[in-house]
Amino acid sequence: MAQIVLHDVVKKYGTFQVVHEVNLNIADGEFVVLVGPSGCGKSTTLRMIAGLESISAGTLRIGNKVVNDVPPKDRDIAMVFQNYALYQHMTVFDNLAFGLRNRKVPEMEIRSEVTRATQMLGLEPLLARKPFQLSGGQQQRVALGRCIVRRPQVFLFDEPLSNLDAKLRAQMRIEIKALRERVPTTSVYVTHDQVEAMTLGDRVVVMKDGWIQQIGTPLEVYNRPANRFVASFIGAPAMNFMEVELVEEHGVVSAQAKDFKVELPDEQAAVLRKHSAKTVTLGIRPEQIRLGMPSGNTGSSFSGVVTVTEQLGSELVIALNVADSTIMASRISPETGVSPHARVQMWVDGKALQFFDHENGKAITCAPCTLR
Amino acid sequence: MIALALDGLRRAIFAISIVAIFVLFVGPIMILGVTSVRPASGAFYIWRGTNFTLNNFVEVLHQSQVLEAMWNSFVLSTLATILSLGITVGSGYMLSRFGGWIQRSWFATIYVFRTVPYISWVLPLYLVNTRLGIYDSYLGLLLPHIAVHVCFFSWLMKGFFDGVNPSMEYAALIDGCTRWGAFCRVALPAAMPGIAALAILCWLSTWNEFLFALILSGKRTPLITSTMAQFVTETGTEWNLMSATAVLAMLPALLVTIFGQKYVIRGLRM
Amino acid sequence: MIVRSTKLGLDEKERFMLFLIAPAAIVLACFEIIPILIGMNASFRDWSLVNPQRTWVGLKQYVAVFTDPVFLKIVLPNTFLLMTASVGLSLAFGLALASLLNRPFFGRAVVRTIILLPLTIAPVITATMIRWSFNDQFGVITNFLSYLGLADIGWLSDRWPSFALVIMTDIWIWTPWFTIILLAALQGLPPEPFEAARIDAATPWCIFRRITMPMLRPVIIVCVLIRAIDAFRTFDQVWILTGGGPARSTEVFSVYTYVLAFVDLDIGRGAAAAGVGAIIMLFVGGVLYKLVNRSVEVSR
Ligand SMILES: Nc1ncnc2c1ncn2[C@@H]1O[C@H](COP(=O)(O)OP(=O)(O)O)[C@@H](O)[C@H]1O
Ligand SMILES: [Mg+2]
Repeated sequence: MAQIVLHDVVKKYGTFQVVHEVNLNIADGEFVVLVGPSGCGKSTTLRMIAGLESISAGTLRIGNKVVNDVPPKDRDIAMVFQNYALYQHMTVFDNLAFGLRNRKVPEMEIRSEVTRATQMLGLEPLLARKPFQLSGGQQQRVALGRCIVRRPQVFLFDEPLSNLDAKLRAQMRIEIKALRERVPTTSVYVTHDQVEAMTLGDRVVVMKDGWIQQIGTPLEVYNRPANRFVASFIGAPAMNFMEVELVEEHGVVSAQAKDFKVELPDEQAAVLRKHSAKTVTLGIRPEQIRLGMPSGNTGSSFSGVVTVTEQLGSELVIALNVADSTIMASRISPETGVSPHARVQMWVDGKALQFFDHENGKAITCAPCTLR
Repeated sequence: MIALALDGLRRAIFAISIVAIFVLFVGPIMILGVTSVRPASGAFYIWRGTNFTLNNFVEVLHQSQVLEAMWNSFVLSTLATILSLGITVGSGYMLSRFGGWIQRSWFATIYVFRTVPYISWVLPLYLVNTRLGIYDSYLGLLLPHIAVHVCFFSWLMKGFFDGVNPSMEYAALIDGCTRWGAFCRVALPAAMPGIAALAILCWLSTWNEFLFALILSGKRTPLITSTMAQFVTETGTEWNLMSATAVLAMLPALLVTIFGQKYVIRGLRM
Repeated sequence: MIVRSTKLGLDEKERFMLFLIAPAAIVLACFEIIPILIGMNASFRDWSLVNPQRTWVGLKQYVAVFTDPVFLKIVLPNTFLLMTASVGLSLAFGLALASLLNRPFFGRAVVRTIILLPLTIAPVITATMIRWSFNDQFGVITNFLSYLGLADIGWLSDRWPSFALVIMTDIWIWTPWFTIILLAALQGLPPEPFEAARIDAATPWCIFRRITMPMLRPVIIVCVLIRAIDAFRTFDQVWILTGGGPARSTEVFSVYTYVLAFVDLDIGRGAAAAGVGAIIMLFVGGVLYKLVNRSVEVSR
């Protein structure tokens, strides 16, 4: 068990910098998820923690030791790879035992550790098989087992569920979560899937183009995204964005675009009044948009033409044309008879509106979190 | 009707092509085979007469040089195979797994030296070998036969390792292996099928190699190909004996083709 | 920001890389690179068995090679003719055979075994049996041809028939190589484009030209590169079949060099010829590499 501290960690390939001054403190026992679109440098960061990539600048501490130049085998870590990376020529048992044998653990102890791990993961019937005789889910479970047996200080996961089909992925997600209750080891988990990030992480680190965008709990990054990128990346369907003008009439601030106007509650207005530019980006989560007329006194209504409807059974998702831009609304009651080309009345609670600087995309309404 | 006729024509052409392949590729070998079992008098006009004999083989094997040459070729091929693969496997691994200036310069080096014609360095190697006193000895033959494989095999080995997912080695590094350990215990077993196929091809190519044998071997350490060539270029008339020798020299190739076909094909495909 | 001082010298990874290539590099250096240097040294000297003084003569040997009419008018044209004819025709036949065999039929396994034979049999043996089959008196094929009325082709006594025989032998040896590789490539192609083309009602020829060929292109290019470089050093078949004759008319580069050094025993001139060949191949190889790298990534 150990904490991990990254201080100004940089990765360069030649002169091409792919990870920029990353600062991150991971507490002992914490489960941190690095999330971002593919190519943003998540894996590179993780591999620097693992010691598979050299660190171009900055310091990395595991426990209280600087490990920049410590080879992977001496960092006391374990890693799960996207393609499982099982040793193809060894049986499941030998795969699990490999790391312990390398560390000269007595064979008796290896047996008991392997047994512990296999019981935890339900692998007992597979011990004598070779990896190619296993299904994807089973292979990934063996890869998890390979981590558990070693009892390392840190677990690292690089998109461990990406190669599985959707159903198995949901199942394995729960298994990892359950495993985490029994083996509370410090973990860093890389994924491009925001659902995994939200469900698994104690804290989520959102990355883009090698820069950390925001660090926070899942709810923080969902409710108070630091910038437009985080807002659009977290949550599905993605947040809607519109260019709006801020107009103050009779002491009421409203956000307006063509055929569109919402009035803002006082606390939002207070922050926005201080903002220099009159044009800002308005963000509305699809799930916050309701059908019909507002209830309560902070709701504002607007209308739009339905272009597409998606019936999911549990909910209805509709795409609307509002003020020349397309806006998605989800969580509409599936029984509602909305059909394409109809003009419908929608409303949204002013408190749920989020504003971003038109130029740099930074959030205006929320207190700036760790921004970059 | 026309469609049916066309189909028949297509089938006929196909069958004829297959037969033509048989005739073209087996024909010359058959001619050699038949000559080798004809008595000296029947070696000419081999398609006339029906007396066959194995005396040619007996006679050839009694000439101590043929047996000795086969033994030498066998030892040389085996040693050259083990050593060539042994020294190029690391080189191929490096080319496949790493980047940077060392990798690039080594790749350029092996490409450049692969283009150099063999005669351009075997000719001076003859001078070196005579100077060092290893001309016409196992050592003097073995080392060039290894050197000749360095470039191409490094390239092929790179291909084998390119086909192995490197994350297994990363897992091994994290599981407590050194880089060398990850290479030996994880990457190498995974690349083994390719390497085994290459071993067979390497053995055959050394057995079949002629130019080096001609230049670097002599009376002391005769090799099978140069012995054969002597028959052809110097005697040139005892076709029955020559054919028997050729058939003997061809045996490993035949055996490998029949029993190790899978490996040969896999090796060639790389 | 703490920037790790960039160390001079090599880090742990680079040392490991050097360690991996060390055995190969040492063997290459000692038994290929050093001999080449020694050969270059010899090529600047007058060094033959009749005149073993090894006096330094500068570029005289190179001038001699480049003004040798045999080298210019026979050896170079022969070498490049062999190279293009052999590579081009074995590629064409290999492609045809691969397409032919790329379908299940009775006896396919046998055919595949048979076409492996030319590749596994030593070129020396191949040349021997071709020479015997085309023997002017007793050769089976010569007799068969004369039965067909083609009696007076001097297979091994006229320049062009002899050289045609050399090329044919080379094609016999290398067609199977192209066949095996292209067959594997054909079988590895994804089926979807072919299915799409069939739905689009493309003719077989059109499918071959517009779909198969473009997809095989990278493989073909690499094969041609490898074979072209190897074809330049062809020696075994020529030496056994014709020995360069009649009257040196079928000599190719390797034979020419061999004859200079080991028959005429003029080491200096032979070394100069060897050097010329190496330089030509470096140039040809470089050009081919550029061409190949433009269409397929060979290096990575
Ligand atoms: N060996 C390398 N050389 C150069 N660039 C690389 C190398 N490996 C990765 N990159 C680049 O680094 C960036 C981050 O890659 P990675 O960390 O794998 O992204 P991801 O977030 O999808 O895991 C990518 O733009 C990739 O192109
Ligand atoms: Mg990644």
